[in-house]
Amino acid sequence: MTHYALHPQVGLRDEAFGALAYHYGNRRLTFLNDARLVTVVRTAAEHQDIDDALAAAGVPDGQRPAYLTALQRLHDAEILTCE
Amino acid sequence: MTSTVTESVVSPTTSETDTDTAVAADEVLAELLIEEISIDGMCGVY
Repeated sequence: MTHYALHPQVGLRDEAFGALAYHYGNRRLTFLNDARLVTVVRTAAEHQDIDDALAAAGVPDGQRPAYLTALQRLHDAEILTCE
Repeated sequence: MTSTVTESVVSPTTSETDTDTAVAADEVLAELLIEEISIDGMCGVY
């Protein structure tokens, strides 16, 4: 079971294209170019696992592998923590 | 006398290609979903 949460050093700001995520520790800026991905990132901590968060955000089943890849990259960039 | 010719035709499997295509499509979509930049060294640019 994968449980993601927004990193405590990350600020998330809504934008017309989705959101900007800024990590105050590593000073990396990440553009989230999709509203559903922003919802997943914002709400991931509230769900038991990431599949629940993807379903709640309305991510189609066929697109889940791509979202999981994107979430893994956000974890690599320390935007998300993983338990 | 009748001769019978048996020919076996091996169809090219597409499952591997399909999987590769699906993985590539996932990678492309993942690339579109997020974009990372570093702002180190940009002082003075703006």
